[in-house]
Amino acid sequence: MADILAFVLAGGRVDELSVLTFDRPKSALPFAGNFRVIDFALSNLMHARIRRVGILSQYRSTSLITHIGNGAAWDMSGRRRQVVLLPPSTGQKSSDWYKGTADAVAHNLDFIYDNNPDLVLVLSGDHIYRMDYQKMIQFHLEQKADVTAAFIKVPLEEAHRFGLGVINKKEGQPGGRLVGYEEKPADPKSQWASLTIYLFKTEILLDFMKRTHPHQEGIEFGRDIFPSLVNQYRVYGYTFSGYWGYTRTLDEYWLTHMDLFGPEPRIDLKQWQVRTNLGHERIQERQPAMVGPQAALERVLLTHGCRVEGEVRRSVLFPGVQIEEGAVVEDSILFFDTVVEAGARIKKTITDNGVRIGEGARVGGGHPLKPNRLFPHHLSSGLTVIGRNTHLPARAEVGGNCILYPFLEENMFDSNIVPAGATVS
Amino acid sequence: MNQPVVMLLAGGEGSRLNILVEARAKPAVPFGGIYRLIDFTLSNIMNSGMERVGVLTQYKPLSLMSHIGSGRAWDFEGRNRGIKILPPHTGDKDSDWYKGTADALRQNMDFLTRYDSEEILVVSGDHIYYMDYAPMIAFHRRNRAHFTVAMMQVPREQLIHFGTAQVDGQGRIKDWEEKPRKPRGTLASLGIYVFKTSYLLKALQDPATVDFGKDLIPKAIKKDRVFAYPFSGYWRDVGTLAFYYDAHQDLLNPRSILNPEAWGIQPNLEEDGLKGDRPALIVQKNGRVVQSFLSSDTIIEGEVEGSILSPGVRVGKGARVINSILMHDCQVESGVFLERVIIDKRVRIGKDCRIIGCSAVPNREFPGQLNEGLTLIGKGASIPPKTVIEGNAIIHPWTDEEDYRSRKVKEGQSVRKKE
Repeated sequence: MADILAFVLAGGRVDELSVLTFDRPKSALPFAGNFRVIDFALSNLMHARIRRVGILSQYRSTSLITHIGNGAAWDMSGRRRQVVLLPPSTGQKSSDWYKGTADAVAHNLDFIYDNNPDLVLVLSGDHIYRMDYQKMIQFHLEQKADVTAAFIKVPLEEAHRFGLGVINKKEGQPGGRLVGYEEKPADPKSQWASLTIYLFKTEILLDFMKRTHPHQEGIEFGRDIFPSLVNQYRVYGYTFSGYWGYTRTLDEYWLTHMDLFGPEPRIDLKQWQVRTNLGHERIQERQPAMVGPQAALERVLLTHGCRVEGEVRRSVLFPGVQIEEGAVVEDSILFFDTVVEAGARIKKTITDNGVRIGEGARVGGGHPLKPNRLFPHHLSSGLTVIGRNTHLPARAEVGGNCILYPFLEENMFDSNIVPAGATVS
Repeated sequence: MNQPVVMLLAGGEGSRLNILVEARAKPAVPFGGIYRLIDFTLSNIMNSGMERVGVLTQYKPLSLMSHIGSGRAWDFEGRNRGIKILPPHTGDKDSDWYKGTADALRQNMDFLTRYDSEEILVVSGDHIYYMDYAPMIAFHRRNRAHFTVAMMQVPREQLIHFGTAQVDGQGRIKDWEEKPRKPRGTLASLGIYVFKTSYLLKALQDPATVDFGKDLIPKAIKKDRVFAYPFSGYWRDVGTLAFYYDAHQDLLNPRSILNPEAWGIQPNLEEDGLKGDRPALIVQKNGRVVQSFLSSDTIIEGEVEGSILSPGVRVGKGARVINSILMHDCQVESGVFLERVIIDKRVRIGKDCRIIGCSAVPNREFPGQLNEGLTLIGKGASIPPKTVIEGNAIIHPWTDEEDYRSRKVKEGQSVRKKE
């Protein structure tokens, strides 16, 4: 069996996720009640028996550090296994912060030398999917490839949003020679979108990194490196046909959650066997969910520590959420320990940890739908987002496409009415 | 402060829990969806700041040992912390099996003396309660006691199950009776003892001291300083099926003070053989849930009312589950009706079964154990579709279609595995 070292790119914060990534990287975003987005990549690694993992992260890492712990949750703690966070460090050169995905790997060549693997797998930690990396590895070895990247078929009209590979795919094969690569082309010629999963022969990666030390601004694997790799090495495209969930924008994050529902949900968490750190946010210390005598639940994901006395529909409740009597929650995602007080009604809203919605308040939904005034591109579908620990006053009225910043207290609201599209900071 | 070494007695058979203890010791019996009985004591120990624990096992220890593991779930894993399983072992003497509480301690003298503690705390692993042991240790020290017994007031008619005592104004035990028919006192022993280590080591030298309640206490109160530490609060012995069921109802009762999370009770969610962590539970489109306690990884398409569901339970379309306890990974298929049923792990209930525990006719095999209108289904049983099962029935573990003579199991009957 090939000896493999993995890098998980967990860095970025993104404006598109607004208040949800104010104090955590995208990969540490909570997902589906018990999990974090990065759990999906780490669990895939665990199931593929890849046990030496470096996590490249520089943005607000505390939540990530707590979550990863010693890696025991993914069985990556032991004499010949480890998961380490590799933050940027000051070195001989002036360039210290990671400037891009390839730059981040280039800063950690020591980690590759120390582990001396046959292959290096680089993947991003911010997608929701189940993939058997060993199948990709097998394909890579069979093709005697230098580099293999994974791709998924997307509709042609959406293809311009992705890095696209031109693959000489043979019938019955899980991929083929990669003959071209374009990053987000205006006029797409392929429907194979990159999944940002790259497998390198170690010496090829090191050779390439030495020759083109990517310390210039913003060196990314997809945009900057792949187009030129294709001509220099044996590069293959591996095609993946399972579910692939994005969490890049608030809309994507919310829509991906909705794939948890239905008689045959597209995200089958049970089947995927996802692991998480049950110590994080005290998941393990919470008791089973308590549903009260007046409660009504329909299409709800519910977790330990929740207490529901009101009505909940098409929503995801993270551990410790309290829904009081007469409250109504619809189409919403409520993070850890959110409290919705008696008689409050919330619709199409994402609340971060520790948010409290005051008695009788109205949040989200409503018409007319004005895009958020500050971030019209990120928030126009009617979602409202509330940052962590914000306490909304009783009987407040908050429209759709609103952003409420973290740590707002009741007395910090000028008015009880926050009109659609407004941002309160 | 020098911490006491804790000896946790977990050997109990708990035979009145019937098929729930067929393959596991009483402390390993599941409780409240995600806990086992022993979790209450283990968590109380850690929350009291005590970090050296020996667990004395004897009866069917396998599920208990795998549950405790390294003790990591309760934070017992570390250089200065630890939990050790102490099974019976052959020694210089012919005495191998533990003959009683004191005897079990005597056979583990090396553990008792290894940590050089002032006191030994002895607790048992089969009760539902919250207690901080530190004030009891302080009480013990303040009284310069040789040993101290935790006791609480219980209704007179229940005293027959307990060691009972009368105390003087200072709390010193003056009179002791073991499971009396006509009790003189009103205090019941909770099976929690603090011993001065030197006193205990000396007392254990007498091989006639086999059991604390029967042998040691009656003698000791005549000459030694033995005190009763007064406890009040929630404490339940769930040693019978009726008590076990009632304690579960307390979980659903908002007026009850039983609240595992608030008490800091810690389960071990890292079950053996689980490849992924259990995901959130789902209430589907036509599901209906009221007044219930639901665990991870449960999928509900039918109705659930007044029930406690462990992780991995499935309730199919049109099924109704009322006032019942369903343990891990039970499958309730569509159209099933359940009322007052206790169902052990991994049971499959075929379509359109009707299982109603209510009955006044006691179980024929075990009239003393099952007579309050509950039906009991053993681990791994598979119940064929359209079976009707009445009250006080026992469906034994791992039985399946072949073991049924008809599609109706009358009240008080049992279904056993065919020879």
